Amino acid sequence: MVNSNKSALGILFPNSYDQLVPELVNVRLMASIPFASRYRMIDFILSSMANCGIDNISVLASSNYHSLMDHLGSGREWDLVRKNGGLNILPPFAEKTLKPYIGRVEALASILDLLRAQKEKYVVMADTNIAVNFDFNAMIDEHIASGADVTVAYNVQELPESYLKYQGNDRGFYYTFSIEDGRVTKIYVNPKKEGVHNFGMNIYVVERELLINMINTAYVRGQIYFERDILAPQLEKLNVHAFKFDGYLARITGIKSYFDENMKLLEDENLDGLFADAPIYTKIRDDNPTRYIKGAVVKNTMAADGCVIEGEVENSVLFKGVKVGKGAKVKNCILMQDTVIEAGANMEYVITDKKVKVTEGKELKGSDTYPVYIHKHHQV
Amino acid sequence: MAKEMIAMLLAGGQGSRLYALTQKLAKPAVPFGGKYRIIDFPLSNCVNSGIDTVGILTQYQPLVLNEYIGNGQPWDLDRLHGGVHVLPPYQQASGSDWYKGTANAIYQNLSFIERYNPQYVIILSGDQICKQDYSDFLKFHKEKGAEFSVAVMEVPWDEASRFGLMVADEDDKITEFQEKPKNPKSNLASMGIYIFNWDILKKYLIEDEADPNSSNDFGNNIIPNLLRDNRRMYAYHFNGYWKDVGTISSLWEANMEVLDPEHSGINLFDDDWKIYSRNSGMTGHKISSSALVENSMITDGCRVNGTVKHSILFAGVQVEEGAVIEDAVVMGGTVIKSGAVVKHCIVAENVVIGENATVGAMPTDEESGVATVGSGVYVGDNAKIGPNAMVSENVKGGEEQW
Repeated sequence: MVNSNKSALGILFPNSYDQLVPELVNVRLMASIPFASRYRMIDFILSSMANCGIDNISVLASSNYHSLMDHLGSGREWDLVRKNGGLNILPPFAEKTLKPYIGRVEALASILDLLRAQKEKYVVMADTNIAVNFDFNAMIDEHIASGADVTVAYNVQELPESYLKYQGNDRGFYYTFSIEDGRVTKIYVNPKKEGVHNFGMNIYVVERELLINMINTAYVRGQIYFERDILAPQLEKLNVHAFKFDGYLARITGIKSYFDENMKLLEDENLDGLFADAPIYTKIRDDNPTRYIKGAVVKNTMAADGCVIEGEVENSVLFKGVKVGKGAKVKNCILMQDTVIEAGANMEYVITDKKVKVTEGKELKGSDTYPVYIHKHHQV
Repeated sequence: MAKEMIAMLLAGGQGSRLYALTQKLAKPAVPFGGKYRIIDFPLSNCVNSGIDTVGILTQYQPLVLNEYIGNGQPWDLDRLHGGVHVLPPYQQASGSDWYKGTANAIYQNLSFIERYNPQYVIILSGDQICKQDYSDFLKFHKEKGAEFSVAVMEVPWDEASRFGLMVADEDDKITEFQEKPKNPKSNLASMGIYIFNWDILKKYLIEDEADPNSSNDFGNNIIPNLLRDNRRMYAYHFNGYWKDVGTISSLWEANMEVLDPEHSGINLFDDDWKIYSRNSGMTGHKISSSALVENSMITDGCRVNGTVKHSILFAGVQVEEGAVIEDAVVMGGTVIKSGAVVKHCIVAENVVIGENATVGAMPTDEESGVATVGSGVYVGDNAKIGPNAMVSENVKGGEEQW
């Protein structure tokens, strides 16, 4: 095969870190959170895989996945409609597991038969809370060259404020690494130390046979988490290689970070960082181009197609089909798909979910540290 | 399984009056309205009308068009039985021919139509901007018990002599056909959209092909022959927006009308009648702090740092700081560098307009033209392109073209 990556299959965990953004996943899951004016979070990692020739991809959904199934459909937009492989959405097998799984081990245990039946030598796994244009081939190459059992991607950055502040462990786990000569020597689970860390991106390459063995062993012992329960205790025995990513990434760790990461894309260099390397695909809605009517004043704004703008918009991200009426003022806002801001409304630091309507003359203001969020379909 | 009606879309026209815009692509592939190509309109009309089988007859520069149509998926025309088929002229045992005329193009593909054994065939034109419900047209055709119907538009009497005119009685039955007459007897202009009963179409195409003196054209030959034989022919009145975008000025004008759907009647913001197109796949567009955007349409991938007034920007257009665009149609991937002034013109795809260059001018009493820059052209810094210019070769920095 010339272009397709016969050596690796992909597995995505679309519910990972749902707990971090309870508002946004009320009617959906992490993977289908709208991002960057016309995408959903899963588009980035899914397109990256497709661009790297990985065309056998399983999405292990555990809950709230209707919006995801609607978004992905047969996978055509990502060129993943394939006779062999292609896109495969796997909801929980209710009779077998009874309740939706929590950790990666349980999720993978439920598809062991499927994993055994595949032919690819390697498995790449990823979550969907990071928007990134990722080169999986570079990572697979490095994995093979290093002779490691497992390779994990990381970037170097400070931990998000929301992680440091929060003391509980009920919002899932994040990991930082000590690394020596490319090998992970220690994995820290939910560290609270300030400063710069080797911050795990939860993107893994592992041989399929090894993964099956790992999961088999872990599952019978009642273990739940791949990193905490399998990798961390066995670092001496397992060669875990660290793959450094130094490109642009947007990691969603809370509603505030969701707001900030959208806003960061208003800077050209960030937008280019995320989109320049390879195309990111998404579901097509065939909206007409966005129309700026007389009276519109627009500054520093990103907008998708289908919007009709008559008012003032500044420092904002508008998704498909947003309407901003005459004399309305929208500043530092994120307006998701089909939001309607009627004439004269005044908004600052607001995130509106899909199909929100703000009626004439209403005033809504959050602050840069606490943007106001309005639920899907709600009317103000 | 037989189809009730299939469509045959004539898309072989060169569009020679679009000059620089159709050097490398057929007229139906010319970009329109920010993210569409002209052919998106008839194709979307078909799908929205419930027609799922379309033959596209191509001849002139088909590469872009072929690639654009692909398997027809953007229009939902990738079907198991039917769907969209591009039909170029081909070699036969008896020899090969280019399509000699509109009727001959269909004649050469009679076997394609035969495969679907339809009751009716609708003949469409690939160079018109029009939203039309063909199912309503078919309903009319059936109600009248017609063998042939043609869609007509009422045009102003003083312009009537530019068109092919249908003279019809009170029951819309066609009694006479006048091709661009000096003394029009009717103001019902043919839109070049026909519904035929399949058996009638087949009979007349075979007869026409056998006539060595025929120019094998629907307007010149087939319709007069139908009239000669007193066939049941009816005129279907269409009163929506319709524009033949065969010239630079009509193409420019139609684009400008898209900016004013409230008055022009061409509304692309219609959820009940979407126009589908192949997507650019680019990220949302960006309007920077230094930009001024007024009364314009902008689509994915654009980066606007300059001034854009009453204009249409296609996917991926970049407008640098200090550039001014007004009354202009700027097609995909074009870069307008800082200080450039682009007015009252059409700039095709992947053009670079250099710093401080000027393209076109707002109309004055002495001069009013739509300047046109062909695709892939590089216009150097400080170059000047006059309002009547038609540019298809690179223009060096500082040079002037009128």
